[in-house]
Amino acid sequence: MSAGPLAARRDLLTLVLDTLVPAGDGFPAGSIALDHVLAMAGASADVASTLERALQAIHDAADAFAQLGADDRERALARVEQTNAALFDALVRHTYDGYYSHPVVLSRLGLEPGPVQPRGHRIEAAELPDLGRVVARGPIYRPA
Amino acid sequence: MTAGTAGTAGDRVDVLVIGAGAAGAAVAWRLASAGIRVVCLEQGDWVEPGAYPHWRDDWELHRHTDWSAEPNVRRLAQDYPVNDAASPISPLMFNAVGGSTIHWSAHFPRFRPSDFRVKSLDGVADDWPVDYGTLEPYFDLNDRMMGVSGMTGDPAYPPKSTRQTPPIPLDTLGVTMARGFDRLGWHWWPSDSAILTRDYDGRRACVNCGPCDLGCPIGAKASTDVTYWPKAIAAGARLMTGARVREITLGPDGLADGALYYDRQGREQRQKASAVVLAANGIGTPRLLLNSRSGRFPDGLANRSGQVGRYLMFHPYAIVRGVFDRPLGGYRGPIGCSIISQEFYETDLSRGFVRGYSFQVARGLTPIASAMGGSIGDRVAWGREHRHAYDERFDRTINVAIIGEDLPEAHNRVDLDPTLADSNGIPAPRVTYTLSENSRRMLDHGIARAREALAAAGACGVAVNPLLRAGGWHLMGTARMGRDPATSVIDAEGRCHDVPNLYVVDGSTMVTCAGVNPTSTIQAVALYIADGMIRRRA
Repeated sequence: MSAGPLAARRDLLTLVLDTLVPAGDGFPAGSIALDHVLAMAGASADVASTLERALQAIHDAADAFAQLGADDRERALARVEQTNAALFDALVRHTYDGYYSHPVVLSRLGLEPGPVQPRGHRIEAAELPDLGRVVARGPIYRPA
Repeated sequence: MTAGTAGTAGDRVDVLVIGAGAAGAAVAWRLASAGIRVVCLEQGDWVEPGAYPHWRDDWELHRHTDWSAEPNVRRLAQDYPVNDAASPISPLMFNAVGGSTIHWSAHFPRFRPSDFRVKSLDGVADDWPVDYGTLEPYFDLNDRMMGVSGMTGDPAYPPKSTRQTPPIPLDTLGVTMARGFDRLGWHWWPSDSAILTRDYDGRRACVNCGPCDLGCPIGAKASTDVTYWPKAIAAGARLMTGARVREITLGPDGLADGALYYDRQGREQRQKASAVVLAANGIGTPRLLLNSRSGRFPDGLANRSGQVGRYLMFHPYAIVRGVFDRPLGGYRGPIGCSIISQEFYETDLSRGFVRGYSFQVARGLTPIASAMGGSIGDRVAWGREHRHAYDERFDRTINVAIIGEDLPEAHNRVDLDPTLADSNGIPAPRVTYTLSENSRRMLDHGIARAREALAAAGACGVAVNPLLRAGGWHLMGTARMGRDPATSVIDAEGRCHDVPNLYVVDGSTMVTCAGVNPTSTIQAVALYIADGMIRRRA
């Protein structure tokens, strides 16, 4: 299955994703999640339909989205969020999914990208806080 | 797929166990070890270590798709749908060898002595027909089989046997929260966790990768496919996967004589047995009993009392998330296990409710969960606020879960949906559940106290989910134990009052549900019931 009409609107989708998550502070813009979003649409007709309708709603709200400044783009998306909440929510969710699983973003967060196995995480050994106070109270259960 | 040696499919065996999860595995091992011929039918499959998402770059994306804890989201071939439209809490479960221990967080507290004597002590619900002292050796046996990390000496419990491995590292997050409890003078203790911190019994120690809720591909977490089942099969138990039971059958004497099931190809098969043990969880077990109708039991097997499916208990969860101004390391380490506080566990009527709750301090949020709000569901703002809002949250949160004792109420129930069915056409369960006023007051009290604790720990902000919808991990009470056949389904030995060679051993047995995670107690009760079966056979 292909992403179909969504892929045909790749330029608009890129701008939308970059508006949802602007670049800054060393982090890339949201369109780094574009491949993920298109892959999700390609894997599911339901997802493809949802995202296509979300994009259409954005187009309907601002047919010259590409020509708008950053403030006006945000305002246009805010209108769509109000009028098409479920569609917009799905768009944001897939964007965040793709963005926060991308190795560039994970590295910027200070994490090691890639599978969590077999590497796991190192936790520095630390002394357990003193439990003397807790123990000193004596039993706190009711005998039965 | 089959494993084990207890005869071939269709041969009459001594005991048929239905369900290969926490309780079914424990019973199968105990019975097989006593020389009893056991066959277990499991609708799911073995989960191969390489199949877990932890080995993939996109591991976190699977939490809300094919590795979701919700069968209605996962929709795998081995799952059955659950109509939960009339419940504010969605039932969670996993269908595989290991059952829901595949995706549990392995928080492993026991019930306390008072939890078995609720009627006598507090005048509500009912007492169990067994007590803590009777179950204590089974708690200890089960701990050895599962492998528990933790520390003895917790004043919230009678003395326990030595834990198998030291506690899971608290890390910055756990230490931060412990200091908050200390400042308030409240109880806290490192959690008992069925997760190894040292190699034990041929299993590896945890490497703190984090997402235990997606399973454990290295076997450090105690799912019963890596604890009980290898030993049960070595003892002679036979485990048949891809076998979905449709109904339990009766012989002319009115006793259970086996079950009809569908194999992987959808063909109807029969397994004969001298006794049947139900271990299909607190929703699957009443579903199966209600689907097993006959002239002798027109309202469902073992249901002359009309009690099958009633008294459904969840543990209602509220979540309070604290936000801190420094990194806490919360993305590393077992997701559900850190420390526990039982400061408000025993009844104090001045609080405005009866019974009590625990605080379960969980780890922080993983990268995508941070963006989507995790258990709170408050998605990080998009647009130019996004970067700042996200960075304030990621690795700077502590989740405190309030796990309250739900009281059994007859109107909270599982019955059969009139239209919904699984892929074999077997009627699906329907859940009807209302949160009681007592539970609501309990959770509200817990939310207020969790706010205090987080503030004492240094949180600069909190967010609250007053009732977690995707929190139905614990399915309990729907074929409950009791001495009176009019008000219970099974007796003190786990036998159905109406069909004495039909046993129930899963969470359905629970008379009350305490204010802690139930698996340790479910398994102890299952082992206790198994020993009764062995004694009577001897």
